[in-house]
Formats: sequence, structure tokens, C-alpha cells
Amino acid sequence: MNRTIALAVGLLASLATPVMAQDIKVGTIFPLSGGAGPDGQTVTNAVKLMVGQINEKGGLLGRKLVVISKDDERTPAVGVSRANEMIAEKADVVIEGWNSPVTLAMQPILARAGIMDMTAVSKSELILGGETNPYAVRINSSNGFDAEVIAKYVVDTLKAKTVAFLTQNDVYGNGFQTAVEAEFKKLNFAGKVVLTEKFAFKDTDFRVQLTNLKAANPDAIIVTNSSNSSGLPAMVEQYRQADLKSTFVGAVGIMLTTVFKVAGDANNGIVSADIFFPDLAPFTSIPESTAFVAAYKKAYGADPDKSAALGAAAVQVWAHAVETTKSLDRKTVAEAIRGKPVKGTVFGDVEFLPNGQMKPRYVVFKVVDGKNAKLEALP
Amino acid sequence: MTVIESQTPSRTNSPLPRAVITLVLIAVGFFLPRLLGGTSVAYSTLTTIAIFAVMCYGVDIVLSYLGEVSLGHTLFWAIGGYTAANLSVKYGLDGWTTALATIAFCLAAALFLGAVTLRTREFVFSLVTYAAAVVAYEVAFNWDAIGGSDGIVGIAALKLPLGVATFSGASQEDLWPVAFALLLLTLAFIARFRRSRLGTTALMVQMNPALAASLGVDPRKVRLAVFVISAPITGLAGWLYAYQRAYVGPDMFESYFLVMMLTAVVLIGRRILVGPLIGTALLIAQQNLLSLGGDWNKIILGSVLAIVLIFWPTGLAGLFRRFSKSKF
Repeated sequence: MNRTIALAVGLLASLATPVMAQDIKVGTIFPLSGGAGPDGQTVTNAVKLMVGQINEKGGLLGRKLVVISKDDERTPAVGVSRANEMIAEKADVVIEGWNSPVTLAMQPILARAGIMDMTAVSKSELILGGETNPYAVRINSSNGFDAEVIAKYVVDTLKAKTVAFLTQNDVYGNGFQTAVEAEFKKLNFAGKVVLTEKFAFKDTDFRVQLTNLKAANPDAIIVTNSSNSSGLPAMVEQYRQADLKSTFVGAVGIMLTTVFKVAGDANNGIVSADIFFPDLAPFTSIPESTAFVAAYKKAYGADPDKSAALGAAAVQVWAHAVETTKSLDRKTVAEAIRGKPVKGTVFGDVEFLPNGQMKPRYVVFKVVDGKNAKLEALP
Repeated sequence: MTVIESQTPSRTNSPLPRAVITLVLIAVGFFLPRLLGGTSVAYSTLTTIAIFAVMCYGVDIVLSYLGEVSLGHTLFWAIGGYTAANLSVKYGLDGWTTALATIAFCLAAALFLGAVTLRTREFVFSLVTYAAAVVAYEVAFNWDAIGGSDGIVGIAALKLPLGVATFSGASQEDLWPVAFALLLLTLAFIARFRRSRLGTTALMVQMNPALAASLGVDPRKVRLAVFVISAPITGLAGWLYAYQRAYVGPDMFESYFLVMMLTAVVLIGRRILVGPLIGTALLIAQQNLLSLGGDWNKIILGSVLAIVLIFWPTGLAGLFRRFSKSKF
């Protein structure tokens, strides 16, 4: 009797062990529909491109990679369902995160299931706080670093004496302003913050704020506005119409393709910074970057923007860690990334901080031809 | 479990078989995730259905017994979530305490909102309740002390001390019994309510105000009472949702939940005990198993709501009744 059971168990166990090496599953969860749909598709496309390139070179650990892509609809509740589906489909890694609330809602679900979670874009500081996922990794830059580069430009390069803020009234906008003001203190900024004007994310009419700013006439106006398809282009247009003389200093990452498309030449003269450009130095001299730009252009017929680069880098960083550790285990892979350098990504050779944040390298730029989205890197 | 309270008194007059059937259905319901394969997706989907169904029952009471469309129940849903999140993260309170606090806050909020909307009817009632939810959303979004636009992370596993032992649940498997119990309690409460004096009076006030007045019923008292008891039901669903998701943010006010509440209730038909449960199950199943992508899902959800309201205001149950009548 006991023997029969043992035999049956043995048989079942042999059935359960795969005879062939299974494919490695790379999951992506981004918004693929609605207003943020095109952005999410860009990141997903970049992930697919990178995975395809790895497969062409023979895969990882001798196994092929497959991409499972899902749509979070920019809604945390939907993201949670998709994360649960990833668990059911036994994804080996999930690359996710266009907006922070969705990431924050999915993190604990994936963490409890022991799935390696790479956050590509979402910026909230809470993501790396360790409470939702002790092995978090993020590719995009954080507000803290963004504030440092903007503050440095205003104080050291522009040598502004008077500064004003035009701030989006939420955690993103207010958090960025607080961080910039902290950086001002660190840099012993001798000038003065003369005015702060606030607006809501959905606003498209900024004439009241701009009139007040014009009256104050500061050397620089530091702007946060994450509504890149409607609010920001409207703001840029109205800024020019009001004929302000102050330098428009945009927070990191706000000058996306849509802003150039809608506001065109009104963008000329705006100064901002970002961490990836397909056509600016130093990226034009990083072979991994130029190869990625060419491959992306060939596959999708357009230049990859920063979001695409973030998706591609997420795959590269994860694959690099899997290759060096010969493991897919979440803890092992995460520990090979957090606090370690990674060579040969689309961002060049990068380094991760102990909390999982990729150390950003910025390029400060000025818009010279807004209609064609031409930028000029500033020293 | 779908026929716990079917309205066929002629057949279910004898109490014993009825009780047996109910018990069997409860048992089947409890083991349903196991019957569906016992995977984590089965557990998480059914837990979500149970929680969302409870959420819908709050709206159901108001819609079925007052004949009013409340667009403000996301407020109570969010109160539950925020109460559980804030009290457990900042003060380490257990599940019982956060549940009690949820009930208290929901009652207080509903009492206030109910009193304000006492004289309003139909469109104005819907509008005022919606406005309340919008105001609450802005407060939650901008007030950093309760989470702000980023929300609250790090909600620990649900802890329910039970005398000597303590129930502690973090995974979907652990939370299923709690969600199932909450659903059963809600169903029992609604079943009781339907037969209660308040339930019958509310229906009379809605259907025949003249009769109600002649019997000396104060319609405003009845309206307030029904609205107030509906709030903690939706609130407790939000409370459990906070533990299931381990993250609470201003997205709890999103129209995703509001549309879910309204569609689940009208889809099957009003005043059917298991209606909202079946409606929720159908909607979640469509989204998770037969998903056509985000844009199409929303188009489907919106069209279903519109078509049902325009062509079959009595819901699928009414359609079925009409169909079976014409045939036999």
C-alpha cells in the first residue's frame, strides 16, 4: 500500500519536473490604453526589442525569453489584478510602473509572491522606501536628484539673483519645490525666492499666475508641470504671449515630444534637463545607446524617447544580473543590482545606489528649435 | 450560494430544507476557490469579487429602497480604506479596532451627508452626493497627513485577535475566509433589512408616498435611516480592500469603483438579494478572464450600463422574467 503511494507520488513528481528547459517569462505592466496608452506602449515596445536582441544572442542561461505584456489602465485596482495574473503565469521578472500609485499598489502583491520587480518610470520616493518591497529597483531618476541638477544650474550657471516657482500643487510639484529650496541652502544661494505661484494638474489657464510672475520679474522661473499633453504646452504658449523676460527653467523630464508637437517654437529658450536623448552627447558616443536608437528606429519608425530607454535599460540591468549570478531568484538578482555598477546599458555604464535607485546622469539643455524639437546641450 | 434568498416562497415554505440548502450553498461558496483549482488567481479573484460585492450592497440599499442613485458612496469606500490604512500604519491598531472606527466614521459622514441631502430628490440628490465625493477626493489628494497624492504604503497584514489566538492574514488565501464572512454577514444583513420594518416602510415611501403619509410615516426619517445604514456596508468593504491591497491612495475615489457599483446593481435588477453579487462577479470575470483591453473594457462597461438602463430598466432578471412569461 505504502509502496503504491510512494510510486504514485514519484510518478507525479516526475510529471511535474519539466523535461525541457522552460522559457523565461518577462512580464510588463504599463498603461496601454487611455491617455497614457501611447507612453506605456513605447516602454513595452522597448522591452520587447531588448528581449528580442537577447534571444538572438541565444537567450539567458541557455533559455529563451518570452514577453507577457499587460495593461494597467493607469488604475491601481486594475494593476493589482494584472500583478496577480503575472503570479499565476509564473513570471520571472515584472517590469512595470508608469505612474506611482499603480506601482505602489502592485509592489506588495509582487513582493509577497517573490517576483523580481523592476520599476521603470514611476518617480515616487515611497517606491524605494523598503516598506512595500525591500528589493525594489528603479531606473528613472528621483525628485531629489532632479532638484539638485536644476538648483545647480540656476545658482551656478545662470547665477540668478531672484527666483520664482510655478508649481503644480501635488506631491510631485510641491515635493520638487521643497527639494530645490533645500538644494539652494546647500549651495549657499545668495539670491532670493521672490514668489511662488501654484496651479492644479488639470489646469490649462495660467494667465493669473503669469501676470503675477511678470510683475515680480525674477531672473528664473522654475516650473513643474507633468501634464505634458495639455497643461504644459498651454502654459508655454501663454508664457510667450505674456512676454515674460525670465528664463523658463523646466523641471527634469517635463519636455516630452507632445510639448514640442503642440507648442512648437514657443518652447524656444526653455532650459531643462533630462537623463536620455537619442541625438545629444554623450549618448551619441555610447555604442549601446546608438545601437539601441538605430534598432528602435528600424523596428518602430521613430526615435526612442527617455521612456523607451528606461524600458530597455530595465531589461539590460536585469539580464546582466541574471547572467552574472546564474540565477532567477528575486533576492539573488536584486542583490546583484542594488549598490552595484552595471556596464553597457543604453545609459552607458551606470551605478545603482544601495536602495535600488539607478544613479542618474543629466544633460542640461536649451530648446533652440521647438518646432523640430532641436535641443542644444549646455555645459 | 446564488439562491440563498430566492423569492419563491411557495416552494421554500418548509424551513428545514431551506436551511439545509442555504448551508450547502454556503459550504460550496466557501470552497469555491478550491473547486476552481485553488490557484492564487482563483483566490484573489474571488476575494476581490466578495469585497466589491459588499461595496455594491451599500449602493444597492439606497437604489433599491430609496429609489435614489448615490454617486457619493466612493466616499464611504475611501473612508474604510483610509481608516484601516492610517490607523494600522501610524498606530499599529488591530483589525477589529480599525473596523469599528470605519463604522463610526462612515456613520458620522453619512449622518452629515444624509442630513444635508434630506430635502433633495433624484438628480439633485445624485449631484450633491457626487459633489461630496469630489470634495473628499480633493481633501485626500492634498492632505499629506492622511497620505496625500501618493497615498499610504506599508499596510501590515490584517490582524484579528480572537480570544486566545490571533488571525493574521496577508496572502489572498488567508484573506478569503474574511472576505467570505464579510459577504455572508452583508447578505444576512440585507436579507434581514428587506423584511424589517425600515425596509418595508422605505419601499412604501418610495412606491406610494401617499399611503406612507396616511400611515403617519415621516419620509425624511426613513430616508436618513436607510442612507446612514448603507454607509458602513460600503465602508467595511473599503476597510478589507486596504488590507488586501496593502496600499491606499486617492484612487479609491476613482470612477472605476463608482461605475462598478452602479453597473453591478442595475445589471441584474433591483431588490434581488444576490443581484449585486452576481453583477460584480460577471463584471470582474469579464475584466479578468475575457478582457478585450482597457479601452474596450470601458466601452463595454459603459454600453452595458446604458443599454440596461434604456431597454431593460428592470435588469437581466426582469428581462428573464418577461422572456419566460411570454414563452409559457
